[in-house]
Amino acid sequence: MKSIFRSLPAFITSLCFAATLSAAEKNYTIALIPKGTTHEYWKSINAGAVKAQRELAEKGIKINLIWKGPLREDDRDQQIQVVENFTTRRVSGIILAPLDSQALVKPVNNAMQSKIPVVILDSGLKTDKYVSYVSTDNFKGGQLAGEKMGALLNGKGNVILLRYAVGSASTEEREAGFLDALKKFPGIKLISSDQYAGATRELCYQASQNLLNRFGREADGVFCPCEPPTVAMAKALRDIGKAGGKIKMIGFDSGSQSVADLKNGDVQALIVQNPMKMGYLAVQTMVKHLGGEKVENRIDTGAVAVTSENMDQPEVKELLYPPLDKYLK
Amino acid sequence: MASENKTKLWTLFNILGPFFGLLLVIGLFSSSAEVRPFFLSGGNFKIILTQTVIVAIGALGMTMIIISGGIDLSVGSVVALTSVVGATLIEQKFSPGLAAVLTILTGGLIGLTNGMLISGLRMLPFIITLGMMGVARGTAKWLSKSQTVNPPENPLNNIMALTDPTQLLPLPNGVWIAAALAIFLSLVLRKTVFGRYIFAIGGNELATRFSGVRVSLHKIFIYGVAGLFFGAAGLMQFSRLTQGDPSGANGLELDIIAAVVIGGASLSGGTGSVLGSIIGALIMAVLRNGSSQMGWPTYMQEIIIGGVIILAIALDKYRQHKSNE
Repeated sequence: MKSIFRSLPAFITSLCFAATLSAAEKNYTIALIPKGTTHEYWKSINAGAVKAQRELAEKGIKINLIWKGPLREDDRDQQIQVVENFTTRRVSGIILAPLDSQALVKPVNNAMQSKIPVVILDSGLKTDKYVSYVSTDNFKGGQLAGEKMGALLNGKGNVILLRYAVGSASTEEREAGFLDALKKFPGIKLISSDQYAGATRELCYQASQNLLNRFGREADGVFCPCEPPTVAMAKALRDIGKAGGKIKMIGFDSGSQSVADLKNGDVQALIVQNPMKMGYLAVQTMVKHLGGEKVENRIDTGAVAVTSENMDQPEVKELLYPPLDKYLK
Repeated sequence: MASENKTKLWTLFNILGPFFGLLLVIGLFSSSAEVRPFFLSGGNFKIILTQTVIVAIGALGMTMIIISGGIDLSVGSVVALTSVVGATLIEQKFSPGLAAVLTILTGGLIGLTNGMLISGLRMLPFIITLGMMGVARGTAKWLSKSQTVNPPENPLNNIMALTDPTQLLPLPNGVWIAAALAIFLSLVLRKTVFGRYIFAIGGNELATRFSGVRVSLHKIFIYGVAGLFFGAAGLMQFSRLTQGDPSGANGLELDIIAAVVIGGASLSGGTGSVLGSIIGALIMAVLRNGSSQMGWPTYMQEIIIGGVIILAIALDKYRQHKSNE
């Protein structure tokens, strides 16, 4: 104990040195808070952020990028804690993919109030107190899926929508976009749209099995609004022998498994966002803002419908196989 | 005389042990020159205290249960359920005060049910509360139609609101409420007959029963009162999220049990203290806060907290061994 007290003055002097040193050069500490860390989607965002970090380093702007997800993947309170902890850590800026459009409002307002700029990534937040919102226009992405479904079924058939999780704004918008686009096809009947998959792959798999057990015979098409249920549903379709196009399957987001499913024909189309671009633009936007430039309030990073026909085009290929190793190793 | 001094020293060590643990983790994060100025700031301690409130209030209830030799695995689900109940009541235009009271009583009701099943069926608390974990979680999802319940802006939101995150004061009311509850429970455990019976039941249930204490009745009370604490934790969860979240607080019971155990309680019953449990909760909050600020990856945190729990239990074994000598 005594030694701690004895070394306290030394601590304080070293602290002063550290403060003067960091003020001299132009570097930022940016915290990037995803919804989780295990899905490939978030790794692509991380890779995009690292890409921006490297490009900025060449311009002489040094960025210390802290990548930090909540301790439990779908726990709002844990993510609030991470935001709060970075607020008192006084990072230069926070880039946040909010787990919930409502629960994260207060911590974000607090950060902005303590003069720490926040860029919102991927999913919306019910406030306008942030610097910029960088994401796919999810409603448009969902519409794209709905139109594709209509085309695949020639405007006729029974369709299942397996929702992702409650309160996740991005997937809710996709679901709404999907339902909106289906209205254009009077011959398409929605036979289930009230089931939620859940945040883990295991939960998604169970939900898919249960849903197919009930509706597997009458369904002609399924839509899943993000990666975990897409992979789980394709697996469940294989289990009951309905894969390979007997039930048309449209997924959202790409991961190595869902791309493999697309290739072997178990998934007919994947609506793919550009997470690398999202991570990249989020960091660039944050740095612009920190440099005093004005930034756009809403930045759309776009979505593409990938099918077995177009998946070998180079620009689509980069979306499906983001060069993660180049940036994360 | 010498042995008496030795016992005194041991009691002192038992009381101070968790304190040293807390100082140790604070020291750990203070040793980094880069993080120290942010970590050792009033604003940060306010955040740590606020982040501890839910686990701490839960740990108060759990302390009673663990001292009595029991366990409650349903806490996470009960917190989720009561947070949904609170949010729904506000949505249904109940007055905030009434909604708060009913939220806490819901927790109490579930606790009473647990206690009655445990006493009435003479079943292991582990099994009964494992069942209740599912029942409460399911009920929360049923009540909320599996969606978060987002009531309009209301005064309950302010219990846990951080008004000015840059300085220590004013602390959110939730912190003061947790502190008041801790003092209250501490007095109950030390000064009341009920409190002493809790220790007696945990120490030797059979002997307590033979001394004429109505053990079954007291167990129902213990789980009921603990349930009130869990309901209060649920109210805090609701305030913090400004919504009722049926899928939230998953695994919270493990954080709470860990806090109580780190605080020096024994899972075999008979020992434990309110102060210890609060410090246990603080240790985990500091670890979480500090690792965030150090930029440590999430898995490091999980490994460290797991290690701390094992260390705490090992220390507990060692202490028991020593005191038996």
